[in-house]
Amino acid sequence: MNSAQPFFDFTSVWSSMPILLKGFAIAMACATVAIIIAILLGLIVALMRLSRVKILRWIAFIYTQFFRGIPLYVLIIWVYFGLAIAAGVNLPAIPAGIITLALLNSGYLSETFRSGILAVNKGQIEAGMALGLSRRNVMLHIVLPQAFRVIIPPLGNQYVDAIKDTAILSIIGVPELMRESKALANLYYRPFEFYTFAGLLYLFAVLVVSRGVSVLEKKLSAHSAQTTVIIDVLN
Amino acid sequence: MSSPVSAPDALAPDFLKLVGVSKTFGNHRVLDKIDLAVSEGEVLVIIGPSGSGKSTLLRCINFIAAPDEGEVIFQGHSWKAMSSKYNFLANRKYEQKLTVLRSEIGMVFQNFNVFPHMTAAQNVMLGLTKVRKQSKDNARKAAVEALSQVGLAEKVDQYPEKLSGGQKQRVAIARALALQPKVMLFDEATSSLDPELVNGILEEIRRLAKAGMTMVVVTHEMNFAFQVAHRIVFMDQGRIVEIGTPDQIRKTTEPRTRSFLSAILN
Ligand SMILES: Nc1ncnc2c1ncn2[C@@H]1O[C@H](COP(=O)(O)OP(=O)(O)OP(=O)(O)O)[C@@H](O)[C@H]1O
Ligand SMILES: [Mg+2]
Repeated sequence: MNSAQPFFDFTSVWSSMPILLKGFAIAMACATVAIIIAILLGLIVALMRLSRVKILRWIAFIYTQFFRGIPLYVLIIWVYFGLAIAAGVNLPAIPAGIITLALLNSGYLSETFRSGILAVNKGQIEAGMALGLSRRNVMLHIVLPQAFRVIIPPLGNQYVDAIKDTAILSIIGVPELMRESKALANLYYRPFEFYTFAGLLYLFAVLVVSRGVSVLEKKLSAHSAQTTVIIDVLN
Repeated sequence: MSSPVSAPDALAPDFLKLVGVSKTFGNHRVLDKIDLAVSEGEVLVIIGPSGSGKSTLLRCINFIAAPDEGEVIFQGHSWKAMSSKYNFLANRKYEQKLTVLRSEIGMVFQNFNVFPHMTAAQNVMLGLTKVRKQSKDNARKAAVEALSQVGLAEKVDQYPEKLSGGQKQRVAIARALALQPKVMLFDEATSSLDPELVNGILEEIRRLAKAGMTMVVVTHEMNFAFQVAHRIVFMDQGRIVEIGTPDQIRKTTEPRTRSFLSAILN
């Protein structure tokens, strides 16, 4: 081994910092936009699954199973290359990546939302109905706010997964953290240093999100539903 | 004091009427062709063993549980059991109409069912803004007023978590009364309360009775029932066994009513 060359050397990582941070920002932006879309889609699909209309329930069920079952790797190829070949839709890499992550996560989130909605005590719904509220208002003002508290932790987990999943977007050329790290690692022959640094950035993001989730959870449970709901269910 | 509430002078007949109301869960007929008329200003107390269908009967009055058969006539308007389980659009439309009936009928539950994510005032305001379409400011004023009426003026901005069972039930009562319903339904409103809190809630119901509110009250508090009721209904196995004034029920010779009363009064 050449003793003149240090075993670990992070100087090239330091000097590449702007590129790496930009990649990190792109990864975070993709994950965040995707999760927001996934929340909206997941909510719609969850409400469809709870609908009284059989066809809607059926469509929602298939949607959920499909996007939960399909590997991210395959889905991303379909969205990026498949759409171009089959429908002539040439999506740029970043939107294609965001759509892919959004679809995949919406499948999982619809299940989370569904169980969150079902966890709300039936007495709450009845009390809303007894006031003369429409079904829509019962859902909007009574059920969803209470369901939301229950789903914050799994929602946070889903966001964390989405952040890590952005690494796979490198295969369609999204200039996110993993792709940039790989390119720089090859350039400087410092794979260990670059991938370690990338890993630390992901870890940092995940810790920040987890912290945010627990703060949000605490804040909402200051006047919490959960205990009453659980007690009522047991009654 | 404990003097019985005097009957209103002129009881308007057929203010609220159930005709042939039936309800089945699976193959268990929980209500079997119930006929019942409540006059305006009347306090009707329903008693009966557990599982006899008292709660289901109340819930059929405001269609929180839709009857399978029969109709509810309220202020001359007939609300029929839904015709078909499969005609989604028609049912949806009917469901929307039922909100009108429900908004005229207040309901208080055994488990309070206050909304835990809203303060006491917000609990009361929800119906005022969404059902009565009042502005936030007016609703807030009315909510504070309604909460003060039940002795919760200090607790207006508290979340239910910080309230005792009795206070939660007061919020629920204020929430219902704020909409100025024509009828109040009470389903064992004191059964989940610590004993020392029961009388306070019974007092609220008594106050309403004195004010002439039409009420259907399910309760296991027999002394209260005999004091406050104009008439008492005894139910068993989804049927009305007997209806009578408190005096008639006290002296009844009907064997099932007698055995129920002697069991519960001892
Ligand atoms: N949603 C439901 N699904 C199935 N069965 C039900 C449902 N609601 C009520 N029942 C059944 O209907 C019967 C009557 O119930 P209900 O709650 O009306 O009785 P109750 O007289 O109010 O009894 P309690 O004094 O215990 O409150 C019971 O046997 C109950 O198990
Ligand atoms: Mg009951």
